[in-house]
Amino acid sequence: MSVLSVRGLSIDYLTRRGPVHAVRDVSFELEKSETLAIIGESGSGKTTLAVGLIRLSPRGTKVAKGEILYTKNGMTNDIRKLDDDDLREYRWAECAMVFQAALNSFNPVITIWEQFLDTARAHGLNDRRRVHDRAAELLDLVHLDAGRVLPAFPHELSGGMKQRVLIALALMLEPQMVILDEPTTALDILTQRSIIDLLRQLRQRLGFSMIFISHDLSIAAELADRMITMYAGRVVEHARVADMFYRPRHPYSLGLLRAVPRVSGALGSVASIPGSPPDLVRLPKGCTYAARCPYAIDACREADPPLLPVDTPQHEAACIRWQHVAEVLGSDAEIPVAEKLA
Amino acid sequence: MTAVPVAAKPIGVHWNPRRYLGGMWRHPIARAILKATLTIWVTTTITFFLIRLMPGSPVELKIDELIQSSNGAISYEDARAIASSLFAIDLSAPLHEQYLSFMWSLIHLDIGKSFLSSGTSVTSIILAVLPWTLFSVGTGLLLSFIVGIALGLLAAYRRNSLLDRVISTAGSVVSSVPNYLVAIMLILFLGVQARIINFTAMRGAYSPGLQPGLYPAFVGDIFFHAAMPITIYFLTQIGQWILSMRSATLSALEEDYVTAARARGLTDGRIRTAYVGRNAVLPLVTQLAISVGFIVGGAAIIEQIFAYQGVGLRLLDAVRQRDYPVIQGIVLLTTISVVVANLAADLVYSKLDPRIGRAGGAAG
Repeated sequence: MSVLSVRGLSIDYLTRRGPVHAVRDVSFELEKSETLAIIGESGSGKTTLAVGLIRLSPRGTKVAKGEILYTKNGMTNDIRKLDDDDLREYRWAECAMVFQAALNSFNPVITIWEQFLDTARAHGLNDRRRVHDRAAELLDLVHLDAGRVLPAFPHELSGGMKQRVLIALALMLEPQMVILDEPTTALDILTQRSIIDLLRQLRQRLGFSMIFISHDLSIAAELADRMITMYAGRVVEHARVADMFYRPRHPYSLGLLRAVPRVSGALGSVASIPGSPPDLVRLPKGCTYAARCPYAIDACREADPPLLPVDTPQHEAACIRWQHVAEVLGSDAEIPVAEKLA
Repeated sequence: MTAVPVAAKPIGVHWNPRRYLGGMWRHPIARAILKATLTIWVTTTITFFLIRLMPGSPVELKIDELIQSSNGAISYEDARAIASSLFAIDLSAPLHEQYLSFMWSLIHLDIGKSFLSSGTSVTSIILAVLPWTLFSVGTGLLLSFIVGIALGLLAAYRRNSLLDRVISTAGSVVSSVPNYLVAIMLILFLGVQARIINFTAMRGAYSPGLQPGLYPAFVGDIFFHAAMPITIYFLTQIGQWILSMRSATLSALEEDYVTAARARGLTDGRIRTAYVGRNAVLPLVTQLAISVGFIVGGAAIIEQIFAYQGVGLRLLDAVRQRDYPVIQGIVLLTTISVVVANLAADLVYSKLDPRIGRAGGAAG
């Protein structure tokens, strides 16, 4: 049973130059207790998509079309059609979000405890004692000392502590779904590690579904069951983590994998993708990646290829040259891509 | 930290004044008081010499007056003798002696007596006019602050709408017109041309013949008399609050914690007050405190236009008549209140913003 089903979602930013097609015809399913990673470079539409899922897009944003179907206890609702009160209920209680900028996610002038209480009250929990017990329990779960953290103001906590507090806060209302938008980007590498381990433990214990947005493939691979690669607002590849890492079929996914340095790889094995993403106001004809793609042929510039199954029915890629990519990589499924190409 | 040599420290107490003062300088409250005292002393001193540099001393003004009123019957010498005897201060003494004796009295909290209202103490003169200024300027400031904050918040929430444009344009127009011009225009349009308001009846702080006291007729009367000054203070200050609040709110709305609060499903009301409003109003608190400090100075021109017996009008009179002690007293009062208001602003700010004024923390 899927918790979230996104169908043909398109989101535009209205600008003076015309609509920026930040998210184009995105569809995916999120199963119960599953982790879906969304990867792509800056400007690929990952954050726009994530924020769109809880309808928190900034002013000047228009959801052009599509459905966001959320299912709980056999009841399915289209998030796009919720009224303001229901939407407020849906936010955090059903779908919590841990932001990229977790460091600034807390109101600087009130204590952490008041922010827990605010969140609880907004969802009808008015018993201070119970809220306090719950907050203490959650902070304990993220390995923080509630007695010290709750009375503190945000500036009195370190970056890693704030990120943990935000994760604890996200779990307060036992949401079915948690969206994490680059939750480790602003942290040092040791803190990143502990946050990732923590998330894995929590998911095993509490069984929520996660959408994990990142440009860091190694972190995404550690947490995710399935992965989506986004490019210029579109899903260009969708696969199980192992398939994505060992048998990528879209040249862009391949490019992202090759851009990751590896401990065992030679220094020369890291390669960036030349060029930059296309102008999202005036999209080029055909495949948006063609201009940067080493395998592009004339047919690529004719029509934007649809997302179609490759290899297995669970593996989809939007590339007419996927068989060529497969040939280049060979059939050896045991060695990760980057090493093979080194 | 002072660099205290660890080794070879002689036994016994060596009184080092610099170190003691240095220690006091580091204590925030001691430092604030020290700074305040210094500011007050410097301002008082500058005022003391400045007013004595003005052409025409009170003695000369009195001599002229005596000669004129007697139609030349009194000789200059006689007039000078009479005039000098009227003043408690010997104005022919050298300046530094006058200054020392003035400071000596000031340390004993004695500002002196008025030159002209023979024998009335400066304190009682100020106390007679201060309530009216506090009342009219204070009410105008408070009203403009409250209404301005509300309008600024509203404009920011409805940014780029017609309402926002109307509010912001009106705000910048009224904040750029000087208050005396507003006063003159109001008199011209409402009093002279349309004859809606009878400005003559509104002169003064209250109607002659009424006994001051806390009864409805008198309270109504003081509001009637203060209505024009209050309206003008309100109009000329509200623009500043609208514009400041609007821009502070706009930047607060962009903050990540406001987006996060929405994601947490908080109600709009709670976000508006505790998340946006509270953070947006922070920088305005300092501005308000400074304005509060300047209340006691009054608004000389407005008080003169409406013949409103406040501190500003009294100051103008004192300057015209070279009544040194009264000028000195009013300047001193204004200085003290500005200094105190600034101290209060710092204190209030550290209460409102936990990031200020708390050393250390749990950060690790």
